[in-house]
Amino acid sequence: MIIGNFRIELEPRLTSPKWLYAAVPAGSLVFAFIVGGVFLALTGHSPIGTYSSLISHGYTSTKGITNTLGLATPLICTGLAAAFAFRMNLFNIGEEGQMYLGMIGSAWAGIALAGHLPHVLAVPTVLIVGAAAGALWVLLPAVLRAKLGTSEIVSTLLLNYVALNLVNYFIFGSRGFFRDPTTSFPQGRGVEETARFHSFGTSNTYPTVIIAVLLAVALYWFMKRSNFGYETSVFADSPNTARYAGMNSTKLTLSVLLFSGALAGLAGAMYVVGPAGKVDPGLLQIGLGYAGIVVAALARYNFFAVVLTAILFAGLRVGGASLQISSNPVPIAIAVVLQGSVLLFALGGEIFRRNRLRIRRVQQVSVAS
Amino acid sequence: MNSNVWILTFADAISIATTLILATIGAILTERSGVINLGVEGILLMGAVTAFLVGDGTHNLWFALFMSILVGVAMATVHAILTITLRANQIVAGLALVIFGTGLSQYIGKPVEGKSRPVTIEPMHLGKLSEIPVIGPILFGHDIFTYLTWAGALVCSLYLNRTRPGLVLRATGDAPATVDAQGVSVAMVRFVHTILGGALMGLAGGWFMLARGTAWSQAATTNGIGWIALSLVVFAAWRPLRAIAGAVLFGFTLQVPYTLQGQQINILPPEIVQMLPFVATLFVLVALSTPRARKLLGAPKMLGQPFVRDER
Repeated sequence: MIIGNFRIELEPRLTSPKWLYAAVPAGSLVFAFIVGGVFLALTGHSPIGTYSSLISHGYTSTKGITNTLGLATPLICTGLAAAFAFRMNLFNIGEEGQMYLGMIGSAWAGIALAGHLPHVLAVPTVLIVGAAAGALWVLLPAVLRAKLGTSEIVSTLLLNYVALNLVNYFIFGSRGFFRDPTTSFPQGRGVEETARFHSFGTSNTYPTVIIAVLLAVALYWFMKRSNFGYETSVFADSPNTARYAGMNSTKLTLSVLLFSGALAGLAGAMYVVGPAGKVDPGLLQIGLGYAGIVVAALARYNFFAVVLTAILFAGLRVGGASLQISSNPVPIAIAVVLQGSVLLFALGGEIFRRNRLRIRRVQQVSVAS
Repeated sequence: MNSNVWILTFADAISIATTLILATIGAILTERSGVINLGVEGILLMGAVTAFLVGDGTHNLWFALFMSILVGVAMATVHAILTITLRANQIVAGLALVIFGTGLSQYIGKPVEGKSRPVTIEPMHLGKLSEIPVIGPILFGHDIFTYLTWAGALVCSLYLNRTRPGLVLRATGDAPATVDAQGVSVAMVRFVHTILGGALMGLAGGWFMLARGTAWSQAATTNGIGWIALSLVVFAAWRPLRAIAGAVLFGFTLQVPYTLQGQQINILPPEIVQMLPFVATLFVLVALSTPRARKLLGAPKMLGQPFVRDER
């Protein structure tokens, strides 16, 4: 492209310097805040004031950061779930629904099983049952994808709406197992006390945050060291190579999707053993499953980066929520606008990581004789 | 049971189908060029909230719909720049559009959340035709956009199958290298059709708000219709005329829960009935996945693949 006296070209880079891997997301964040600022200003809010309030309520105050870590816990899990599947070009976008099922499954275990178990086994059982429920919810799309090649994108997404109505049915539409029988107010039945973690002090951070971070480390190690991790990375790069090498693509597809579903289910289970303690329709309002996809994409499917990005995003949400309580309330949706914009800019910015931008002065050829 | 109710349900199904047809044709045009735009749901929401806000400010129906189209164009342009120019992953870019559209529509729609629609697209009066029993209310009680949409599907079908630009479009989705060798810009064909598709999706959102939606509610206005439209593309085998039949069928599944609720028919709880459109869509996708059905479908061969010319 030539503008004036300058020629603008993109040259592919053979290797990207390390700092660029961080510079692209950081730059995207700045641009997203500018876009958000435009909408804030258009709707009569001061961008600077709003952002400084958001940052102090989301990150820099003790209450803010502990709230953020609490919310980040399930978000790390949905982020890992998306990263794990997207790495292998399996676009499981049903984390939202799988998380709801995780909540339902773990609440069931917390009510029905936890009372019969020794204390040390209660919480692990509840978490495992939640993860299994999440895996179960992705079973149909996974089998369809593995056996018939049906695109998993739309099928996993459609099940989100089914799961959403299922939670509503259990709490608002029926007086069944999951609903609190002691009150006419529609709310979930509480799980056994032994099936819950206590938070750290008076904060809203639960020990599950440690499990979530350890999970990211374990996944990183597992995908790097294990045969399974090797096979999935070959499959992601070239399904044909994988097939010639005798790798079983059906088995790989099934296990990757089911494990992704289990991780999303675990997010719902962590919500139950942590802050909720029951099937809580409040989870339906937060959109942690969809946010997990953004987190994973922004982290470029790197498990460590998922943890950091999840904390960043949780802070946006926590800070965003605090903005609603003021004389000139800002709708919390500003957090979602920022999340969407960050991802859009990061996707666009990738090209500058993969290519070098060269601006050269065009040699003026004199035609005068 | 009152038979009139079912006549009205059919009529409503055909009416709702309008938005599905518009969005589906938009997605068909996009996908035929080899670009997959998963952002439909986000564009629908933004189209709907734009129509509401502009209608609220100006009370001008046509201007409101025009602005919905413009917003659809703007969002599709973002998708086109990201995926065609910058070669970003099309799936993730589409999802980013959904999230961005969901957030922004909720943000700018917050002050009017729950308010009833400012302007209404009224059904046309077709005189004697509307009075024919059964057929009258089902076929001749709709607004002008429903009929224009049917005509649009026909035009789109003729464009795809009977014109030279239509041939180039189909070739771009199946064999971009051939189109490039012919000296036609693959990027240009993809840009134009992605943006055209976005315009139709924006209109679909605006129409739905002003013709079917009673009040703006971010959570309930489109409620997953964009994803159903994406499934309809597969159901219609990337052919615009088949989209009409599919859209009416899916429109029926979207309408039935409301009919049952209105009639106080409680065979199933409302939450379970609300699952119907999504379960039905899933069922159709499964049925279309058999190897035999797949052979008949004929998806664009290079769908979702960025085109990079080999320069040696």
